[in-house]
Formats: sequence, structure tokens, C-alpha cells
Amino acid sequence: MKISYNWLQSYIQEPLPSFAQLEEKIIFHMFEVEEVEHVGADIVFDIKTLPDRNHDCLSHQGVAKEIAGLLGCTFKDPTEFYKIPESSPTKLVIDMHPDTARRYMSRIVRTVTVAPSPTWVQDHLKSIGQRSINNIVDATNIVMYDCGQPCHAFDLDKIVGNITIRHAVAGEAMTTLDNKDVVLTESDIVVADDEGVLALAGVKGGKKAEVDTNTKNIVVEVANFYPNFVRKTRSRVGIFTDSAKRFENDLSPELCAFAMRELSGLFVEYGFTDFEDIVDIYPHKQEKREVVFSTGFINKKLGTNISDDEVETILKNYGYVYEKVSPKSLLEKSSDLLALLGQTFSNSDFVYILTVPELRFDIAIPEDMVDEIGRVYGYDKVVPVVPQLDFVPQKNPVYESMKNARDILLAREYKEVMTYGFADKGEVRVLNSASNKTALRANLTDGVKRAYELNKGNVALLGLNEIKIFEIGTVFTKEKEEIHICFNLKKEIKEMSLEEFNTMFSSEESILQVFGSPRFARPDHSEYLSSFEKIEGVKKFKMWSVYPFIVRDIAFWADEKSYEAFIAVGDSFASKYCVVPMKMFDSFSKEDKTSYAFRFIFQSFEKTLTDAEVEVWWQELLADIAHISGITVR
Amino acid sequence: MHPLTQITNEIVEIFADLGFQVVLGPELESEEYNFDRLNFPKDHPARDMQDTFFIKDRPGYVLRTHTSNVQTRFMEALVQSGGKPPFAIIAPGKVFRNEATDATHEMQFHQVEGLMIGEQVNMSHLKGVLLDFFKKFLGPDSEIRLRPSFFPFVEPGVEVDVRVGDRWIEVLGAGMVHPHVLEAAGIDSKKYQGFAFGMGADRFLVMKYGVTDIRLSYQGDLRFNQF
Repeated sequence: MKISYNWLQSYIQEPLPSFAQLEEKIIFHMFEVEEVEHVGADIVFDIKTLPDRNHDCLSHQGVAKEIAGLLGCTFKDPTEFYKIPESSPTKLVIDMHPDTARRYMSRIVRTVTVAPSPTWVQDHLKSIGQRSINNIVDATNIVMYDCGQPCHAFDLDKIVGNITIRHAVAGEAMTTLDNKDVVLTESDIVVADDEGVLALAGVKGGKKAEVDTNTKNIVVEVANFYPNFVRKTRSRVGIFTDSAKRFENDLSPELCAFAMRELSGLFVEYGFTDFEDIVDIYPHKQEKREVVFSTGFINKKLGTNISDDEVETILKNYGYVYEKVSPKSLLEKSSDLLALLGQTFSNSDFVYILTVPELRFDIAIPEDMVDEIGRVYGYDKVVPVVPQLDFVPQKNPVYESMKNARDILLAREYKEVMTYGFADKGEVRVLNSASNKTALRANLTDGVKRAYELNKGNVALLGLNEIKIFEIGTVFTKEKEEIHICFNLKKEIKEMSLEEFNTMFSSEESILQVFGSPRFARPDHSEYLSSFEKIEGVKKFKMWSVYPFIVRDIAFWADEKSYEAFIAVGDSFASKYCVVPMKMFDSFSKEDKTSYAFRFIFQSFEKTLTDAEVEVWWQELLADIAHISGITVR
Repeated sequence: MHPLTQITNEIVEIFADLGFQVVLGPELESEEYNFDRLNFPKDHPARDMQDTFFIKDRPGYVLRTHTSNVQTRFMEALVQSGGKPPFAIIAPGKVFRNEATDATHEMQFHQVEGLMIGEQVNMSHLKGVLLDFFKKFLGPDSEIRLRPSFFPFVEPGVEVDVRVGDRWIEVLGAGMVHPHVLEAAGIDSKKYQGFAFGMGADRFLVMKYGVTDIRLSYQGDLRFNQF
């Protein structure tokens, strides 16, 4: 969420630290900061609130409370500054069907003037990248970005009959404020009048009772809709709004009253005077919650030595309401408290009984307070210790057998590949894939066969004599998943279960029979692959060229001295024109002379090379070789 | 050897030297072991079809989204066979996310997850184990730092950054195992506690070897086997 530095400052008594210092505080004690942006005279943080803090921190007040607690500053509670309007009795009737919402607060405001917003409202919205629409709509948005509670305003004169919060009728249609036609299902919750749908509850307002420049009387909605309904509806209709985002993250219904007070106060500031009483449908009030923890408990989880004083300073800075008590004295008074204390705390000297703030759904168990105290105290103060554990690890048979199979093949110059787990054909399929391949592979053969063909075309580039590859991976059939191994023997692709492989090749004889002996002495080493290891002396990946390569071979007779001269010439030529170092692929001796055959591979990273281009370079090499005495090109 | 196998083995061996036991588990998994027992609420966004592969004609089954399923299975089996903590396990394996692919995202990737549970295993031990790991894996000058984070199966949860040269890179998620996760496996969370962490092997290929596109891992192309 975008959070304005100036907006935050308006809630904090003391001057905030510089934005850079503040950013660091936020990152190491609260949330990730994705971006910091200068907007006019303001600085805006794009903060990625943690999922468990979306209940209370998708708002400037929420983040300001956090920062005040973190810095030990004073949070300026705005409640007392909101002007409370005088109001008259109302005839507004709200019919909230059971289990459609947790709370629905509403109030009529008459004889309003729809106009552009005051400058400060426009500036606030602009700083966080929001468009100003008109004073009424802007007021509802300001309240949402300020305290986190989505609000909505309807044109009262466009509403026929009563307001009902109900399930939609399948097939029922509505047009949203942004002119999108939506057909509803029974799982959608709507706000409706006697004629039709006014709003898709918590997601988007409707065209029917839109506030426009002619609007004279309004009815405002400050409600608490269920997260799961909102999430289902918004993902089905594909309308993702800031309102939906907040509701699906589960807001406290207690927030409604605060937001109604803030919204009404804003309207008073606008100069509106004709308010009716608030209608508040709130069947099940949110219960008061308490959590018990101790300093010892926190230290046991973190491996720290935090003192009671340090814990209490954090609690006080955050404005938590708590009691510090001795469990023994409490238990003497009432045994009911045993359940709250649990076994963990009944023997502690002192415990804290903390009243969980209404908006803090993330605090429910003592471990949540370890998080709360730990992150503020600072994880940088946790000292790293390597533990000694009284545990003897066992070898994992499947892991060992994969290693064994891999070792057998690697020793026979095989190279390992990995191919996709998804395929066109298979017995098991997935629903709703982001790709067009929806089957899980039933064999490794298809992938290994494709890999074999691909690599065969590159055999010269790779500097290999032949392609020998294998894959170890899971395949899926209707009955089970199983780890298979697949390898090629020349052109033939063999596949079997890992278990079968290890049984089949449990003896040296059986391995020898199929794969021949390991040739450790002269491995089929790939110049191409090893060439990358030489970059700056460290192994770094280098992307290959996507253009075709051209191979040229040269064979010659040479004595020892001229051979060395050739190596110098050839190496320098290859480093100038070739994609890999030159490679000797044959040599034999006859009397005092030896015949050598070398391979050069040409490839550009920019284009497809032509034979003519390579020929020009090749002639350069031949000319250089002609200067070496003792070499006879064959 | 495939670079991913190589990097996974490297990671696993360092943890094995620290006394962790290798454990494996199924790739096609029930929602119970992949989500429920890991304290994911029923309506958690990770359970959306947009993020997770659900299996056709097999309701309640998914392609695992992490190797944490191995943790839940290991703990359950341990308790059922009469065992109890302490223990330390490391779970390498392939995992799946239903998302459009690009140079840094792939529908399948490789994870290594660790879990250590005992009577006194705490966050300083998590920090000690991870620091020790990175010193061996990336070099003796490695430093780590922890930032607050959130995952349903831990509390507190942290994000771990490691310093590479003069840059800090976010490399893994970790935390103290949530008591609900221990209780779901039949382990007394009042008596035992510990930490868990999870890292992406594919991401380390990018970080350690400068691989430019993680999708290259799964092409079967030997030009990728550069290390």
C-alpha cells in the first residue's frame, strides 16, 4: 500500500526521522518497502504489509500506530477531533439477511452539495496516486486510506424502498460504476433496493444509485462484509478494488463505528448540517480477547535475554493495555484463569495478560507476542548459536539409491538432464493450468528422447564423441507416482523404475555388460562445458549462442617443436574466432613424426555465420601455419 | 551432473554435516499434508486454483507447493512409530506453482527445506545454522540478516537476506514452527519447539552461478551443464 510521509507525520506528535531512516526502521521491524517515491513535497513509501497485518495496516493510521510504537513516539488519536454532527430521527430501514454481513452501519445526510474536494483532500489522494472525483466520493476514499475501512455513498433519491443486504438471485444483473455489466450468482452478496442491485457488496458500487453532480441527499454505507464472500465474488467477476482487498483480508467490525465517526466529521467540515441518526445492524458483537505470555517464554523461543523492563517499554510504546500479575496469586482468586494461563505459565513468576486491540486479529496465542516483541526488539540482537542435538541421522534409502544410480551413469560418461514434469499426454491431469500442458508425465522417455535429439545436433560444439544422457524423475500413473530413471544406449532410450535399475545393476558384471567399463583415465570431457569454468577463474554461467555453428578440422604431420608452435598459433586463433578452445580429436605416430587432427568451432552471438566468412578466417590460420617449419598439412 | 542436482547436493551435504537427516516425500500430495497440517486456513489465497495445481478428478489433491509436506509426514510417522524429538531433517525436492513462466518464474522448481525440533531449539539456533550454512556455501565472509515476515506455518516468521559482495539478497523464508503444526503431527507444542526454513535451489543457481533464465534448467540441453 502507498503510504505518505506527510500523512503519517500528521498522526505523530514528534518529528519523524528522515525518510531513509524511517525506511530502514520499517524494513527491519515491520514490513518490506518495495519503493520510495517523491511526489511533490511528499515522500511516498510503497509498503508490502505482511498478510497477517492486512487487518489493521492497510491504512495510514494503522502504519502510523506501528511507527509510533516502534519509535516510542506519541500517536495522535484523531477521534476527539472529529466533529460530531447533530442528528435527527431517521426513517431509514436496513434489512440485513442473516449471514450476509457482520455489520451494516448507515446514515442519511440531506441537502449536500456535490463539488470538487477541498485542496487538502485532493492533495492527500494525489500523493498516494488516487484520482479526485468529487467531495463525497473523495471523503469515502480518504476514510478508507486513513483508517482502513471501505465506505460507500449512494444517491438517496435514486433508491426505491428499503435497503436490503442479501444473496443475489442467480442471473440477476447489475451495471457497476465503471459501466461493467455483471451477471450475478447466488454466492454473491449484494446491497439492493426494492428494484434491483445498488452495489456488489464490498467489491464495487453500482450505477443505479451513483452520486453525481445533481445529487441532493445521500445515504452512506460503512459495513463489514465477510472475507470469503468478497474474495469469491471479486475473483469471479474480475473486479479487484481497494475495498475488496481490505474486506478479503478480514477487517474488525469494530472499525465501522470509528469510520462512521470520521466520515461524518469530514461532512461536517464540508459544511453539511442535515444529518439523520445512524442505523447500526450488528448482531454479534466482536468479543474481547486476551492473551497471556511471559518474558521467559519470549526468551525461550528467541534464545535471547530480554528483560521485563524491555518488554514493558515495548508494550507501553505500543499503547497496549495489559496487566502484570503473579499466576499464583491469580489462581488463588479464581481457578477459571487456569485455562487462560495454560501449563506453560502457571509456574512463571510474572505473566502479562494483554488485552488484544480490536483490530489485531493477528494476535491470538502467546507465540504471536514473541513475534510482536521480537521484531521490535530486533532480530539483529539474536546471537547465532550452532546447536548440539542429541539426534543420529539415518540415511534415506531413496536418496541414496538416486545417488547410487547417478554415480553409476556419471562414471560411464553419462550426463544428467532434467525435462518438464508436464506433458501433452498422461494419465493424471491438473485443473486450470497457466500453460497448455495439463498432463503430468507418465514416462521420462518422451522428454529424454527430445533431449537426445537436441543434444545430438550439438555434439561437435559440446566436443563430445557421442551423446549419453540420463534423467531421474517422478512419473505419474492413475495408481501411483514413482521415481524412474531413463537413459540412452546409442539411439535406444531405456526407462525403468529407480528400484529396478538398482536391482539390475547391483553387480559390477551387470554394469559392465550394459555400459562397458568406466573410463576414468580418459573421460569424454567436453571442452565446451569446461571452457566456462575459466571465466575470471570462477564458475559463472554463460548463455550460449542461439545461432548455428560451423565446424572446421585440420590434420597435419609435426615434430615436437613444430607441434608446440602450432599450439600457440591455434590457441590464439581459436580465442579470436572460435566459440570454444580448439580440440585435438585424433593423433597417431609414425616413425619420428606424429599426425594430429584438431577441430575448430565457429559461432557468432550476433548472427548466423556464412561459410564465406569462416573461409576468410580459415585462410588466415593456414597462412600462419605455413610459417611454422616442420608442419605438413595433410 | 545437472547443475540443479549439483547445487541441491551441495546444500544437502552441508546440512547433513550439521546433523540433518535427508527425508523425501511425494510430489502429488493431499491438501491435508500440503496445507491443513501446516496451519493454512481453509480460505488461504495459496489454495486458489490460480496459484496451485489441483488434480483433475481427484478432489483434495494438489501438486505440492513446497516440500513442507515432508515435514508434516516425517513428524506424523515419527510419533506413530513411538519416536519423539529431538530431530533435524532436510527435505530436497521438486515443487510446483501454477503461474505464467518467465526468466525468474517456472511452474516447477526445486526447494530444500529444513526442520529442527527439540526442547530448547530457538531462533538463535536458526540463525546459527543458517549462518554456518552460508559461510560454507557462499564463503567464510558471508553474513546474514533477518527481517520480520509471515508464513502460516511459523510464528514468528522471518525473511533471511545474505550479503553477496556489497549487496543484500533475499534468499529464504524461515521461522519458529507454529504450535498448530506440531500439534497437528501429534507433538506436544508445550514441551517441544524448533525452527523451519525453506530455500529455492533454482534461485541459488541464479545467485551463485549467474544463471540468467531459470527455465533453461528443464530443457534437457547439455549446454546448460556448465559447472
